Amino acid sequence: MSERTIELEVLRYRPEQDSEPWFQTYKVSCPEEWVVLDALNYVKDELDRTLSYRWSCHMFVCGSCGMVIDGEPKLACKAFLRDYGNRIRIEPLANFPIERDLVIVMDDFMEKLESVKPYLIPKEEKSIDQGEYLQTPAQLKAYKQYSMCINCMLCYSACPQYGLAPEFIGPAALALAHRYNMDSRDVGRKAREDTVASHEGIWECSFVGACSEVCPKSVDPAGAIQQVKLTSAIDYFTSWLPGGGSR
Amino acid sequence: MSRKPYQRELPKTTWFLRHARYKKYMLHEISAFAVAVYLLILIIGLFRLGQGEEAWAGWLSFVTSPFGLILHLIIFGLSLVHTTAWFKAVPQAMRVQRGEQFVPGPTIVGAHYVVWAAVSVFVLILAGVA
Ligand code: SF4
Repeated sequence: MSERTIELEVLRYRPEQDSEPWFQTYKVSCPEEWVVLDALNYVKDELDRTLSYRWSCHMFVCGSCGMVIDGEPKLACKAFLRDYGNRIRIEPLANFPIERDLVIVMDDFMEKLESVKPYLIPKEEKSIDQGEYLQTPAQLKAYKQYSMCINCMLCYSACPQYGLAPEFIGPAALALAHRYNMDSRDVGRKAREDTVASHEGIWECSFVGACSEVCPKSVDPAGAIQQVKLTSAIDYFTSWLPGGGSR
Repeated sequence: MSRKPYQRELPKTTWFLRHARYKKYMLHEISAFAVAVYLLILIIGLFRLGQGEEAWAGWLSFVTSPFGLILHLIIFGLSLVHTTAWFKAVPQAMRVQRGEQFVPGPTIVGAHYVVWAAVSVFVLILAGVA
């Protein structure tokens, strides 16, 4: 197994000691097969127990280990060391407050996620005895891509709009709203509209497209937002037509 | 234990210098401005045409002057940036589902280029160039 010494420049912030973040360098001899998360785990286990970061599954599923690696929002478990040089800069996700070291405060994201009602709102509630809400493969296909989101927040870290206007609901939450709107079993589009089609919602997006470029699950939140813009613009104009809505 | 989260600010005016993809985005935005400027030049042309032969000739000599030609080249380049950037983004905003499949992105983009070429040829014929 070939090994290489890599210098990890890790952003540290210890709220009880530090007034602002600073970089600490760790030298680690790393097998090429490692991902950045392995290197961080080595630091934590062998060099410095005080280093804090989130992780869980180590296989791109849990969405916990999002961080900015050499300027790019990445899952640390998906960032292979073979793709990096001998110095790697590791920072917490951008656009979120830093709780400690690489751990960010995600309350804002959780609130926004909740605000779009990201759950099935069926036309009629069915009891379990009445069976499933059926759906064809084509109906599933319509939204499946948007249901792959693992809430890793890389898209929020990449989105300059969220950084500049923190009230923006943001890519993942809007993509998730779209996921339910596109679901044949769901009738909640109207219930979500006040939040989704507001100024803080889709209209805050200027289609930089960075969210889709960094998304590790190819959700394409930017695409979802543009699609919602299209339907909501069509809604608006048809509401002015005779018999078209309540305006 | 008391919390003291640290908030890092995104620099309001220089944020786009931080990453190549943001610079590219800015270029797209500026290209829209170039298209708007060209529209304005054309509208002024129409207006001058309405004012009579002399006014029209003045406008014509402006757009065909060396400065006018350079301006055309720059605006043409930026219009190309603008068009290609938005054509590339169309499949994201417009998904066409046929049964269990989506029409592939390149087909949708390709169709846009075909229409663009057809409209351009039509306009050139109208203008008596082709
Ligand atoms: S949309 Fe993609 S980048 Fe954003 S939270 Fe979901 S999986 Fe992560």
